[in-house]
Formats: sequence, structure tokens, C-alpha cells
Amino acid sequence: MGMGWYVVRRVVFAFFVTFTIVSITWGLLSAAPNPEVRQASTQAALEGGNPAEARENARQRLGLDRPAWERYVDYVVSIYTLEWGWSDTRSQPVTDAIANSLYYTVQYSVPWTILTVLIGPLVGLYSAANQYSWRDHVATGFAFFGYAIPNFFFGIVLLLVFGVELGWIPVIYNTQVPVFSVENIIQLTIPIFVLVTGSVGGITRVARNEAAEYVNSDFVKTARAKGVSVYRIYFQHVLRPTLVPVSTTLVSQLLALFTGASLLVEVVFGIPGLGRLLYNAVLSQDTSVVLGTTLFFTFVATIGNLIQDITYTVLDPRIDFSER
Amino acid sequence: MATQDPNKQFDQVDWEEINNSSGTSYSINALGTLVSIGAVLALVVYDILFVEQYTPTFAFVGWGYDVSQLDFLFAVSLIVFGFYGVLPLYQNKRMTRYYWRQFKKNRPALVSLVWLGFVFVVGILGPVFISAPEVALFQKYQPPAFMSIANNYPINCVGPVVDGACQGTLNHPFGTTRNGKDIFTMIVYGMQISMKIAFITTLIVITIGTAVGTTAAYAGGLIDEVLMRWVDIQQSFPTFILYLLILYIWGGGLFLFIVLFGLFAWEGTARYTRSNALSKVEEEYIKAVQLSGASTYRIVRRHVVPNTASSIITNVTLLIPVFILAEAQLAFLGLGDSTVPSWGQLISIGRNDLGFAPWITLAPGFVLFLTILAFNFLGDALLDALNPEANTESEG
Repeated sequence: MGMGWYVVRRVVFAFFVTFTIVSITWGLLSAAPNPEVRQASTQAALEGGNPAEARENARQRLGLDRPAWERYVDYVVSIYTLEWGWSDTRSQPVTDAIANSLYYTVQYSVPWTILTVLIGPLVGLYSAANQYSWRDHVATGFAFFGYAIPNFFFGIVLLLVFGVELGWIPVIYNTQVPVFSVENIIQLTIPIFVLVTGSVGGITRVARNEAAEYVNSDFVKTARAKGVSVYRIYFQHVLRPTLVPVSTTLVSQLLALFTGASLLVEVVFGIPGLGRLLYNAVLSQDTSVVLGTTLFFTFVATIGNLIQDITYTVLDPRIDFSER
Repeated sequence: MATQDPNKQFDQVDWEEINNSSGTSYSINALGTLVSIGAVLALVVYDILFVEQYTPTFAFVGWGYDVSQLDFLFAVSLIVFGFYGVLPLYQNKRMTRYYWRQFKKNRPALVSLVWLGFVFVVGILGPVFISAPEVALFQKYQPPAFMSIANNYPINCVGPVVDGACQGTLNHPFGTTRNGKDIFTMIVYGMQISMKIAFITTLIVITIGTAVGTTAAYAGGLIDEVLMRWVDIQQSFPTFILYLLILYIWGGGLFLFIVLFGLFAWEGTARYTRSNALSKVEEEYIKAVQLSGASTYRIVRRHVVPNTASSIITNVTLLIPVFILAEAQLAFLGLGDSTVPSWGQLISIGRNDLGFAPWITLAPGFVLFLTILAFNFLGDALLDALNPEANTESEG
């Protein structure tokens, strides 16, 4: 009953979670009236045809007249074999549309994640080292500010100040510039800044509170008495136990923002990434794209949670697996 | 909350009274809740059976407001909050004073409480006294008080025109929108919506969460396993995406919206309650109660839930801003209920006029920000006040 067995069970459970989610989306979709069928009958009625007949034809064309379990099995199989259907508005397979958008999402997500991982724990550690000083209060205030301000609203305000008033950043996102160019860095700075302030706040708080527990602990006092340097104390003795709970918060914060706020930030800044793909699909009633992007986000969340659990167990050797 | 009057010394306890009171007597809280909810239910029945669909509920007293399902649900949650949130504070004066002393040390939290109290009172009473924002195209783009805008944007400037710039007046303290709707009024109406979201979701989350948590803890075995695995699944579900999908498929008003929030956010509460119930079962006083023959329901109701209340309240205080933000985000995306003037709706209205009339977006945005901030400060302070072990930052 070692760690390997635990990881295997955790992976199997993650698969089960995706399966549940896929089933739920199927249930939701099949319980609601199909927009395409409705559209067909409306069109027939407008053109003087027979709405009921058109509805039947549409149902037959979409395969809705088959028994429920058959449609369900078909649906699940096609989801897991990545046949996510055809996007009418974009005239390309849904998987291609997602891959195209992912290209833009990755461009800001990667620097955002790296910055969050670097800044969050370090600021928290710094706060704990200078507890109740004005530096700590500034850091805490910043953390609360970043955590509480709605990201999309913060984005709008910054776009107003730096884009419209000062003209330092382009108001409209330019997709033509190469990935590694100064223009791209300039136009992505503000979105990344907004997302980093959003994700760093919670992490800083947890890191500060956890590190504060260790700052006055016996092993740190011993290290001080032995004459260990301050940096060594903080980075070797305090940071390591702090990172265990911080890692959980880190993943959950990043995931929460990735599946929520980043979507709106893309809409605000006009970045043609996944969030905007989902948004446009919702507006243009492109069900297969809505479903595809939704599933993509949920799969990312499931995998993220899996990674979170596994890092937690790897980082903390004290966790007992026999109970799990 | 376990004893009726904590100030009483042991030798002053009137055992006769306690002997008489045990059995099937109800506390004043339960009685009050039942009676009030009964009254609300009677009103609902009256509204459904006797009042025609498009007639206002209180037409007989001349109040022209049609009470919706949401309002009834809001009333129920306010009743529960009053009898189980506010009344116990009055009943246990000693504990209240202790909590208050702890809480007072945290100044940001105190300010937050004042702000939230303001939002609560204005949100509930404001819409009763201020009439709903109306379209007035001639008064579009009025600037906020003490600000000005070039006079070519508003058609009819309410205030004085100085050097070709329309000056703001106190008639429209926060200015008006593209349709000439008063922003201050819309923000007041938005307060009520935010408070509805806060209270109703809290009621749903606490009810389902504690029920599932205690059931899992006491049933154990397969039931526990299934319930907690479902909690795991729900936790890994990206809630915002789920709301988006459901709203896309079903479309829907604020009612569906709020119920959805509540139905998919109780997993944290369930976890807290379960782990707390499991650890409490080991405690001596629970064993004593068990030995004296109390039923499981009574143990859960009278001992486990009150002792878990602090962590549940803290958890919920930190959940509420998430709901309010989610509503604002969905409204901003244009997926919200377009018939209600929520803050997110207002922010998205102002987006196209950002270049020359930024107040339309900024005013509701800052109110939203302050409210979320206040809930976070409050949750943090509650964490300190109710749980002395987790002493995060009381020296604020």
C-alpha cells in the first residue's frame, strides 16, 4: 500500500470524474430542447412548410430518434476518441478550433503561471519574516486588493488608463505579431498583470500564515543559535514545510482563475483564446463548440486536481497512505 | 447554545424546569421560524391560487409590486437568518460580548461590517422607497456630481453648462447611462440583488452541506464513501464553466441562477461538517449525551451542528463574494438575467462608452469591489474571532 498504489487509484478516480462530467453534460443536453431542431421547424413554418415534418426530419438527421442509451454510448465514445463534432460558425472541426485558440491562451497562461509560482510564496515568506511591520501590511493590503478586485473590472480600468488615456498599450489585440517580440510582450503585459494580482493574493496569505508558524518554531531557533545564515533559514527551513499547503492553494487558485477569470480577461482584452472561443460560441449558438470548450476546461480542471493531490503527497513525506 | 442560560451556576439550575422541558418542546427559535415560514407559505399559496398572474400580489393594499418566487425565497432565508443568526446573539449575551471584543480589535473588519450593513439595509429598503430606474433618453450621459462632460454627449444637461461642458448635479450623484437611467438608483437595486444572492445561496449551502456532512459522518460505510466521492467530483468541477453551460442550454433568470449557485457550492461545508462531526463523536460530552439516551438526530442538531457553526459561517462568508462575483461575471458576458439591474449588468452597459463616460462602469465596479473586499475582511476576522488557534492577524 505505498505511494504508487495511491497514485494509481487517484488516476483511476480522475478518469471516473471525467466520465461523470461527460455523462452530466449529456444529460443536460438531451433534457433540453435541441436548438437545431427548433430552428428547422421555425424555418419550415416561415417558408410555409410543415413545422412538425421539418422537426421530424431534423431529429432524424441528427440521430435523435434513436433510443437514449444508444445516443449516450455514441456520445461518450465520440468524446473520448476526440471526435467533438463540426463547428458551423468557424467551418472547422471543434478540436481544430480549440487547438487554434489554445495557441493564444498559452501565450499568456505560461508567464502568468510562472510569475504566480515565483511571486506568491516569496512575498508570503517576506511578509512572515517582517511580521506586523509596514512592509507586511503593504504586502497584506496588496494581497487583499488583488484577491478582491474583480479581474475583468481591473482589466477594464487598466485598459482605460494605459490604453485609452495614456496610449501605452494597444487597445485592440494584434494577432499578427510574432510570439517572441516586443509588441507581443507589451500587449500581454496588462492581461498577465491582472491575472497575476488575482492569483497571487490568496497564495500570499496562505504562505504568510503558514510561514509565520515556523518562524518562531524550535527548529528555526536552533538553526539561529547555531549561526545559520538568515537566507538559509528562510529558504531551507521555513520555505520547505510552507510549500506543502501552499502547493494546494497554488493549483486551486490557478485553476479557479483559468476556468473563470481568464475567460473574461480574454473578452476584455480581445485575445482570441479559449475563453473568447467559448464566449463567441455562446453568442452565436454554436453548441458543439460550447460543449467542446466546456469539456476542455473541465478536463484541465480534473487533471489539475490530480496534479495537486499528487504533488501534495510527494512533497509531504508525513502523509500516511494506508488510510486512503 | 447547548444550555439555555450560560450565566447560571450549577447549583442555581432549576432541575424541575429542565425535567419538564425535556421531551417534545420547541425552542423559541424553532417556533418563530416555523410560524414565520408558515406565514410566507400561506402568502405563496395565496399568490398562486387567488391572485391572477399579472396582478401584483398586494394589490388589495395598493402596493403595485408583484412579489416573485425569488422574493419569497429571500424572505425565508431572512427569517432563518434572523432566528438562527441574530436571535442567538441576543440570547447568549455573554458570548456575544466576548466575540464582539475579539472582533473589535480588527479595524478593517469593523469597517467591512459597517459597509455590509449599509448595503444590506439600503438594498432591502432602497427599492421600496426609490422608484425603479426609468429610461429618459433626453438625460443620457449625465456626469456624476462634481464632474463634467463635453456638452455634445448629453442631449439635455440637467445641471449648468459651463464652457460647453455639462456639469454634474446631485439629482444624479453617479450620473446616468446611455439610456438616461440613473446610476445611483441602479446600484441601489443591484444591492438588493447581491443581498438576495448572498442570503439565499447561504441558506441552500448550509442546509445541504450540513445535511450531507452529518449523514456521511454518522452513516459511515458505503453511504459515507459515495457522498464524499460525490463531494470530490463536485469540487473538481469548474463551477463557473458549469454555470455557463447550464445557462447556455436552459437560459434562465436570476432564480435559476441563484439556486444553481447554491446547489453546486456546498461541498466545502459538507467536508467541514463531516470532519467536525467525526472528531466530536470522540469527545466526552457527546459520549455523555449518548449514554443518557439522546437520539442521533438530537445529538447532531443540538451538539454537533452548533459546535461546527463557526467554521461553517467562516466558510460561507468567504463563499458569498465568489457567488456575487460569478453573477457579475455572467451578467458582464451578457448571460445574466437582463431584466434585473445587477452590478455586472451595469458594468457591461458602460463598456462601450468607456472613452468618454467611464463612470457608468467605474461606479458599480467599485461598489462590487468594496463589497467583495468587505466579505473577505469579515471572513478573515471571523476566522480569528471564532478560532483562537488560527491566530492569523488580529493586530490589524
